[in-house]
Amino acid sequence: MPSSPQISRRGLLIGSAAATGWMVQRFASVQADETPDDQVPVIDCHAHLFHPSRSDHLEMDRRLIEAADKLGIDRLCCSILTPKRPATVEGFRECNRALIAAIERYPQRILGYSYVNPGFPRQAVDEIRRCVLDHGFIGVKLYNEHVCTDPIVAAVVEAAIELRVPILQHAGHIHHPFPEQPNISDGGDLAELAQRYPEARLICAHIGGGGDWEWTIKSLRHARNVYLDTSGSVTDEGMIEMAARTVGTDRLLFGCDMSMTAGVGKLMSADLPAEEKRKILGGNMLRLLAMRS
Amino acid sequence: MLFDVNAYLGHFAFRQLRHNTADGLLRQMDAKGIDRALVSSASAITYRNAQSGNEELDEAVRGHRDRLIPLAVINPAYAGWEDDLKICCDQFGMRGFRLYPKWHNYALTDACAQQLIAAAAEQHLLVSIPIRVEDYRQRSWLVDVPDVPLAEIVPLVKSHPKARFLLVNGLGYSRSPLGRASDQLPPNYWIEISRISALLDNELGQLLNNLGPDRLVFGTGMPFKYPDPPLLKLEVLDAPGEFKERIRGRNAAALVGG
Repeated sequence: MPSSPQISRRGLLIGSAAATGWMVQRFASVQADETPDDQVPVIDCHAHLFHPSRSDHLEMDRRLIEAADKLGIDRLCCSILTPKRPATVEGFRECNRALIAAIERYPQRILGYSYVNPGFPRQAVDEIRRCVLDHGFIGVKLYNEHVCTDPIVAAVVEAAIELRVPILQHAGHIHHPFPEQPNISDGGDLAELAQRYPEARLICAHIGGGGDWEWTIKSLRHARNVYLDTSGSVTDEGMIEMAARTVGTDRLLFGCDMSMTAGVGKLMSADLPAEEKRKILGGNMLRLLAMRS
Repeated sequence: MLFDVNAYLGHFAFRQLRHNTADGLLRQMDAKGIDRALVSSASAITYRNAQSGNEELDEAVRGHRDRLIPLAVINPAYAGWEDDLKICCDQFGMRGFRLYPKWHNYALTDACAQQLIAAAAEQHLLVSIPIRVEDYRQRSWLVDVPDVPLAEIVPLVKSHPKARFLLVNGLGYSRSPLGRASDQLPPNYWIEISRISALLDNELGQLLNNLGPDRLVFGTGMPFKYPDPPLLKLEVLDAPGEFKERIRGRNAAALVGG
């Protein structure tokens, strides 16, 4: 049973850390049609658990849950990535096995993304089907092994469409050479992929961790089936408001990507009505999750 | 008392800033319960002649000096910095200055920088060093300005034991001598918390253990940054209330002498 959060739902919505009331209701269901508007859970759409090769991975996972408790985050949508990339087939399978075990440890808190390297299309699709159909994973996580418009990614996109789950795509737009990640996708790539597959539900990762966030936001204005996640360590003033103005609050998803106070704090500060924040904090992700059911 | 040691007025060349006038910043401070702030010119970061930014700042904070305490931006590699410093201190009543060695293209080891810091020590001026202005991944195609490495700060604080340094917009101190309990460095530097984690690896807790509660200070980075993330850090930090009070404002008040 999670402890009472230090940041109340009211605090999240009205944007005053000083006004925290410390009590928040827990929500038993994440089913959209069972959740009243004023009781939408807070869902972090972009989190990670720690790879089992780390000797302290169980303790670090526990700390993530503890951090979520303190911040009033009800659910964490997690993936586990391989320590080194590109991921091998056995590498991404091991990550997903570890995530299945973690979900068993924290069944009320963790939702799983199946991480795959789309460069192995057949194995990746098999893995996604296993994770979603047998273990209730809620989506697919793609990192930077291939730009998302690369034809080799198509099989994974088509599998996600068939299974009615979203794809969380690591992304960033950096104006300087970025040799660390030669195959990183950006908002423009996601917009192009979205045009090719209007039935797909795509999530562009971390506007606060993907370089020029103004570029990213503008690149996605017309990509109706791309959601934008607010996570990342960058807390530039005005970022959330510009995203809300440009792509609309229906397409924004709250996330932290492990920058916990940055993720929550930027939503608290954002000058948006409480009902718009409620959508970002969980309502929109609920809609995406409901797509599967 | 909540005292923000990391605030700015003016413009930044590469991104529109909102709430960047004195009135705008004060409204933001009021909304978050922040009583006072150390402010410097954001424009001076990219002005060739930083003193123009200091003049704009002096004008902007007139009538608000009880809450907005101005810091100069001094570029010791630019002609006339000694005159600029004198004007900022004697005429504008500024109690210190910020340094941007990477933006202004000099090294902290250069003779001019050493001379400026020696002058600061002599005149009891605060030396504030922003470790970064913005995330390196979002820098404009026009510039390629790195963060100030903490390794360059270490010898600086060591070689100027009488100077007082305020380090803002940094993190990773716990992996540097700056964040470790040791007698290698004088206790002449203070660390602002806006980018330091208070959860998961909890660097803030580590620094509190290593350096004690008197060396950490609250700051937001407004109007570049949203104010709530550092406020949240104080909320979730597992530390006695007395320690948090020092971080919230008492340490900063002691630092600026008020």
